[in-house]
Amino acid sequence: MTFSMQRMYAIFVKDLKELSKNTFVLTTIIMPVVLALFFGRGDAVPLEVHFLVFNTAFAAVAAYIQSVAIAEEKEKNTLRGLMMSPATTVEILTGKSIVSMGMTVLTIVLCIRLLGFETANWLLVGAGMAVSLVLFTAIGTLIGLLTRTLMEASVVITPFIFILGMGTIFAEMLQGNVILTVAEYLPNFQLEYLAAAVESGAATGEIAGHFALLLGWTAAVIAATALVYRKREMGSE
Amino acid sequence: MELLSVIKLAADRPGADPGHGEFTIEMGKGTRTAVHLYPEVRQKMITRLTGRGKKGSFILTADGKDCRSGSRTFFEKTGFLLLQDGHYENLSVKDHLLYFRRLYSSALGLEDAAGLVQLDRSLSVKVRDLTHSEKLRLRFGTLLFQAPALFILEEPDQNIDLETKRILVHAIEVLQKRGKTFLTLTGNMESAFTFGERVYRLSDRGLVQVITESARSSDDQTEESAETAAEPDFQFNKIPAKVNEKILLFDPPDIDYIESHDGQSHIYSQGESYPCVFTLTELEDKLRTFGFFRCHRSYIVNLQKVSQVITWTRNSYSLRLENRSKSEIPLSKNKMADLKAMLGLK
Repeated sequence: MTFSMQRMYAIFVKDLKELSKNTFVLTTIIMPVVLALFFGRGDAVPLEVHFLVFNTAFAAVAAYIQSVAIAEEKEKNTLRGLMMSPATTVEILTGKSIVSMGMTVLTIVLCIRLLGFETANWLLVGAGMAVSLVLFTAIGTLIGLLTRTLMEASVVITPFIFILGMGTIFAEMLQGNVILTVAEYLPNFQLEYLAAAVESGAATGEIAGHFALLLGWTAAVIAATALVYRKREMGSE
Repeated sequence: MELLSVIKLAADRPGADPGHGEFTIEMGKGTRTAVHLYPEVRQKMITRLTGRGKKGSFILTADGKDCRSGSRTFFEKTGFLLLQDGHYENLSVKDHLLYFRRLYSSALGLEDAAGLVQLDRSLSVKVRDLTHSEKLRLRFGTLLFQAPALFILEEPDQNIDLETKRILVHAIEVLQKRGKTFLTLTGNMESAFTFGERVYRLSDRGLVQVITESARSSDDQTEESAETAAEPDFQFNKIPAKVNEKILLFDPPDIDYIESHDGQSHIYSQGESYPCVFTLTELEDKLRTFGFFRCHRSYIVNLQKVSQVITWTRNSYSLRLENRSKSEIPLSKNKMADLKAMLGLK
């Protein structure tokens, strides 16, 4: 079975057109932009707020669009036709991922402009963001596989947007609480700590530690997605 | 006849219901076959035909090679037109077709496909704004890009308008000439006769071929020889039908049409069907004077109730009745000439 660019491109174009006309999806993805507009008005934006917006963008755009793109095919009964077509799972998921990742990158770039985000080392922070992008897309795939309709996906994504997107905002409230020590290992905290470590010029070991945790999360979610996919073929319920 | 495909369904539980029995349908290349079956059985068959993975129990033989349902080659060779299939509602007709054209890397032109299903004038319309019938045509149009050897159609003419049915029958005829094979699964005898040259009936007794016009001539004579019963002394015009030990008597003008299946004739009157003790040949004789017409091997129709003669293609006709459900009755090719003579047309 060969990988066909044309088939992947077909799925990419179709999903892009289909999703860009879905008002329900569009209202969700402007959420991080609204946040950025809101926080960007202040003079000095703290690092926590920058990453609150970025993480929200990952959860609300990358994960959400990916899950919707998969769940909606099930809801509209189009997935069966797609599964019977010569398109392979890799082509289907790549086509869809390019859409959600592309939209996320656009949103993040827009947010960076609005917030005026600067960092000492773009390479390291950018790499951290790239890993996060893959991680959240994988989370979206997992949710898409487990849910059946657009509505269901939207409901299931909400806690992810709150915890993985805006989770860092609650850190203040939970100061000293045991939950926080656990929560600090979540990928959004790790991304923020990574950026903070880069900013303060911390030792390479510390940066590498945060990086390893992010990669670990990504590997774990991809493994879980592959497992779920094997267990239940996308077409059958 | 070049044999294209044999769909063989292996029994997975002996003695189970009809959808599970073992049967074989032989289909020549460029032929149309229809199977008349109950909705539950149809759904079961569709689920098993479209199911993926190891459980595939249908075997399609094409070009001397076997492929099991669920395998990739099986889905390459068979295209499905299913009731449950969905659409990308937010796309335009053009984008929708373009998507499938790319998906199947088809060389067929977009305009050609749209033209065959007559959607070429609504290419910029959004799919969500299409009527139910146009959506069916769109689905059929996307199948053209796949260009499978075998088309499996599920209830193709359910709830669609006359225009769409005509377009569909025409498109099928065009494809048939190019050597495509069609298998229609339907619960409606009339559509089975419209979409199938050969018609089977799948019931508790397994798969039985329904005799159509072509298989006719030989057993006609045997029936006619049995007709030499003594003439009755008086003329009695009502037609008896049995319902739960009761005998109902029908006035011939109240009867819409009479259908024969499973060796039993059924009288249709005011939307209900009643089994009748007489055979179609006996009834044809009794009812001839009341303006009844044997329009098909399995049908007698009350000509007074016919409102329209529909011509699908040059060889395929139906009669539409003016009863409440607007029933359609198949009219066979050689009976068309008789009907024209009766109507005083040439």
